[in-house]
Amino acid sequence: MSGTIRSVSVVWLLLLCLVLCRTLTGTGAAPICANAQAGCYAVSLANLFDRVVQHSARMHGISNDLHSEFEQYFLPSKNQVGRVGRNCHTSTILTPNGKENAQRMAREELTEVILKLLVAWRDPLWHFHRSMAHHHDFTNFSSDKALEMSDMVHELRKGVERVAEKMQTLGLMSDPVNSQVSPEALPPPDSGEWRRMKDYDLLYCFRRDSNKVKNYLKILKCRIVPEHGC
Amino acid sequence: MRGHNMTVCARMRRDLGLALLLLLSAAVESDGMSPPGKPVFLGCRSPEKETFTCWWEPGSGGGLPTTHRLYYEREKLEGTHECPDYHSAGKNSCFFDKDHTSIWVDYYLTVVASNALGNATSGHFKMDVMEIVKPNAPENVTLQVMKREDNPYLHVRWEHPHNTDTKSGWVTIKYELRVKHRNNNEWKEYTSGTQTQFNLYNINPGEMYVVQVRCRLDHGSWSEWSNSTSVKTFNYPQNDKPFWILVSALSTVPFLTAMCILVIKRKYVKKVLLPPVPGPKIRGIDVQLLKRGRSEDVSNALIINQGFPSVPAWKDEIEDYLIVSDDVLLPDPHRKKKSLTVAAGFHLNLEIQCKESLGQRDWEKAEERKNGIDTFPPQLPTQKQLCPNVTFVHAEATDQRWPIHDAAAESTVQLLAPTGYVDIQRHKSMQEEADGNEMDYTRVNDGNILILQKDKFPGCMDVQRQEENIPEDYSRVKEVDGDNKVLLQRQSFSADSSCGEKGTPYTDCTNKKPINPHVPGPSKVELIGSGYVDTIY
Repeated sequence: MSGTIRSVSVVWLLLLCLVLCRTLTGTGAAPICANAQAGCYAVSLANLFDRVVQHSARMHGISNDLHSEFEQYFLPSKNQVGRVGRNCHTSTILTPNGKENAQRMAREELTEVILKLLVAWRDPLWHFHRSMAHHHDFTNFSSDKALEMSDMVHELRKGVERVAEKMQTLGLMSDPVNSQVSPEALPPPDSGEWRRMKDYDLLYCFRRDSNKVKNYLKILKCRIVPEHGC
Repeated sequence: MRGHNMTVCARMRRDLGLALLLLLSAAVESDGMSPPGKPVFLGCRSPEKETFTCWWEPGSGGGLPTTHRLYYEREKLEGTHECPDYHSAGKNSCFFDKDHTSIWVDYYLTVVASNALGNATSGHFKMDVMEIVKPNAPENVTLQVMKREDNPYLHVRWEHPHNTDTKSGWVTIKYELRVKHRNNNEWKEYTSGTQTQFNLYNINPGEMYVVQVRCRLDHGSWSEWSNSTSVKTFNYPQNDKPFWILVSALSTVPFLTAMCILVIKRKYVKKVLLPPVPGPKIRGIDVQLLKRGRSEDVSNALIINQGFPSVPAWKDEIEDYLIVSDDVLLPDPHRKKKSLTVAAGFHLNLEIQCKESLGQRDWEKAEERKNGIDTFPPQLPTQKQLCPNVTFVHAEATDQRWPIHDAAAESTVQLLAPTGYVDIQRHKSMQEEADGNEMDYTRVNDGNILILQKDKFPGCMDVQRQEENIPEDYSRVKEVDGDNKVLLQRQSFSADSSCGEKGTPYTDCTNKKPINPHVPGPSKVELIGSGYVDTIY
């Protein structure tokens, strides 16, 4: 009896080992990296850009939906807002406000702007999601969207960083961008200010900024890898 | 007094002046002059996210020429500015060109209407260019019917509105199209994504289709639908039809011919398809003669050349053995009855060779009993023991009637009431057996054995013995074989010595009475072949 148990357990162990080894050495679910290193497989720059652009489009879509929902249920009197309307906490970041301006901007600067924006929104969105979860006025759907939005900002940032890496390795971009954009180097953007913003204003500002990010990425893409979709 | 008069006059003059003024003002008012009414913003629109236009609705005119001015303030821009272009976009509009347009910033717009009498200001209108994007409709919508084997489809193609800049990626345009039949009013919508072409597969031939396309930038508003473009699809290919007409025409002719033939030859067809079932027929008997009923005809009918086996075949001394089961014991005085009973499930296998008429008679009797026929000739019961009897072993203790028509019955029995004969049509195989075998038995049921054996015909000696000792209905046991097998010996003896003739052992058995010593010649012995014995006196 004990002999059979032992043999069975040995067989199970072997199977486990096989499976684990397979997952470790297999390339099925290998992570993407900019350069072809061991354990990950390289994706082309065009592909990376596509992913990033789609991601940003989806993020903007969600923010749009949430904003409309807010407008429906918590409609602030729009036209009575005076001159000093809202002041988004990202207004300190200089962003090109038109097509020509954006096109004239160097790709490094543009990438930097994008990353700055994404970094600036990480914390506020997380807090926004928390506050939504606590307020029982909002449906679960809205709360899920808020969470998704906050995740997407995080992922998008990583994606853009990878794109930047890839561009640097390909020689399309100069190096110093990354160091400037790391969160530690950036001065914390008025860390308290966004806390004072109301939810609706937060959404309004984020909707705008996500649109910016989406547009800038698209411009970059069509400038660097204009093969398809431009 | 005069001073008083003076003040009165002044007062009166003053009053008059006032009255005049009032009149004047009244007169002026009655012409409709007033400060302008408050203008209202109609909206703004940017067709390509690079410029935008705003429209307003002036208030009531006020009768005097009114001018409208638009002022705006902008986020991240100091001061109040006036509209750069009042004319490009038409009346009561303000067009902001590229230099004056900034995206992602808030604009605060107001319109001031002023005339000689006053001003009127509309409320603030806040907008962000990002929110007011509404492109023009797609252009150059073309529709084509593509023929591909048997699956035609509609190929729709269009272009982006010419003022949008998709090349630099500044705008991402998404398209939608809708289709309907010419006479229908129901549109079917499809999303095309960012493609500028689309294939429609579910189209019907011979119809007119109308297609419209629209688009939108990013998450802005949808444009208007483009002008209708229509196209007519091909009809079903007609060339198949005449082919099928020809085929059907050609095939009807042979079909009709076949039907005619069938009708004409219906009797033949009927014969082939439904072969007539032959009625029962007894070999050697001419039914027609019998039907006539005349005696000579009847006898003629019965005596037909049947090809009896030659008499010498019977020369062999054949013994008839009877097997009686447990129930039927020889000394049993009731054996008579039992000997006549028919075992249930017994196979009326007419391989039983009842060569001797007596035995046959017994058997007949059994048969008749089975059939419940009362045409039993009276003389028969006494003749039983003179024949090698076919004793039906009564194995099952039932007196069931034995269905005469057994499936395996290979002979037909025709009872002839007047003569009491039973004609057994013998199986051919039986004849062979009759020729050679000594033992002839039929195993019919489990444990029930019916054994018929041609009895050796020892001669007449036994007759006497038998007559002495054995009662009429008894049979001598020849041998006891096993538990349930008893071999009986039945000998057909005639009282006369004529039984010694081997050639005709059976002829004597036709009746119980002292049998006619005349043994008919072999020619007159119609024997086993037909299954009955006929004694011709």
